[in-house]
Amino acid sequence: MNHITDEQFEDILEGKDMGLAHLRQCQKCRDRLAEKKAIAERLRSAFGSMQASPDLADRICHKLNTTTTAATSEKSMQRVSLSRHRRQLWPALAAAAAILIVLVPLSMYFGTSSTARAAQAELVEIHQENLGPDREFFSDAEPEKLAEYFKSELGFSPAFPCTGHGMAIRGCCVAHFRERIVGSYVVDTPQGVISIIVVTDTPRSIGMSRMLERTRSGETCWKASFARCSMVTVRLGDYSYCAVGEISHKYLLELISRLLS
Amino acid sequence: MDNAETFEKVALPHLDAVYRAAVALCGRRQKADDLVQDTFLKAFERFASFQPGTNCKAWLLQILRNIWIDQLRRKKVAGQELPLAEQIIAERNHDNEIVWSNAEDLIENFSDEQVIKALSELPEDQRLTLFLIDVEQLSQKDVARITGVAEGTVKSRTSRGRAALKERLASYARKMGLMGP
Repeated sequence: MNHITDEQFEDILEGKDMGLAHLRQCQKCRDRLAEKKAIAERLRSAFGSMQASPDLADRICHKLNTTTTAATSEKSMQRVSLSRHRRQLWPALAAAAAILIVLVPLSMYFGTSSTARAAQAELVEIHQENLGPDREFFSDAEPEKLAEYFKSELGFSPAFPCTGHGMAIRGCCVAHFRERIVGSYVVDTPQGVISIIVVTDTPRSIGMSRMLERTRSGETCWKASFARCSMVTVRLGDYSYCAVGEISHKYLLELISRLLS
Repeated sequence: MDNAETFEKVALPHLDAVYRAAVALCGRRQKADDLVQDTFLKAFERFASFQPGTNCKAWLLQILRNIWIDQLRRKKVAGQELPLAEQIIAERNHDNEIVWSNAEDLIENFSDEQVIKALSELPEDQRLTLFLIDVEQLSQKDVARITGVAEGTVKSRTSRGRAALKERLASYARKMGLMGP
């Protein structure tokens, strides 16, 4: 009797219908197949629960964002360079331009970066002020009245948080962000107090990096950390809702996902 | 949607699969982290060459494998080859092969770490092929594309890899007193 070959076993394991007639007759080949299946399944289960760490995902996202920013700077340098070349400036001026070409994008890059960090610092400062004993809230619990308050103070009606699940709005208030008046809600949650600050700036302009996870309704989420605070932002319409608190990004995402659902 | 956003949406869902493959190749998680990061950055650089609708996981794993091979070449470190005698055992005619009659019960005695370690001790080509077939359950055709060999070679590597893995596990089983000498 010709037993099933190793290569035929591989085809059987891949689901190709071969050698089945022989298998019905041959105990040895059935045992060999069972053994191969058992090894394959054990190997699969050994790796089954293995996942990349969230840190690794963060590192990759951060690197991708950095790469994109660097590529954008390089393109702008090339554009300036080509423009100068077309105008056929004198060599001396070209040398000066070359210095500018290097210095201007660098200063812009570092300027943008420090501006973004300053914006994050401002968001954290608003949150910390919200937690202070002197903070005055418009603390009416009725959503309609809170919406009226924002409408009168800010001129627009932001999406209003849905509470429940142990979350309650402590109040809302206005604050200054990037020399503009913005609104914020303070929400008590089972994990701690968070502020949701509503700004018109895009998450990228605040230096936030995109998260792998999305909200329950599928919106893209952005995150950053400053001092001891985590920030998670969701863009809805023309506004960015920045959740700030001393809570992990994961919980903040969960909370903001519930609040804005 | 910009290029980075598209890339993140298409490629990053395969992060865990790429990570598992990196652990299978490196055997160490710290080193695997670096390999995964290099893979995604390289994939992003080459994203223009990725054809939407094709198998992104296979594409990423091919990049991972190429980076790994490059690293091995640069460091002039050969993969952890089995001693020749053991390769012969792995390739021997199965007329003399002892089939485990209680394979499932026996195999359940090994910890995940032992199984992963046993895999990491196989020659590089068998290790990756067996991982892709058994763990990621890719088709022989996809694995052939990733590893740059013919489908027939994939079959023989898988088979030899599985036999070698069995030998490794048998040696653990003997040390654990689960099998006779």
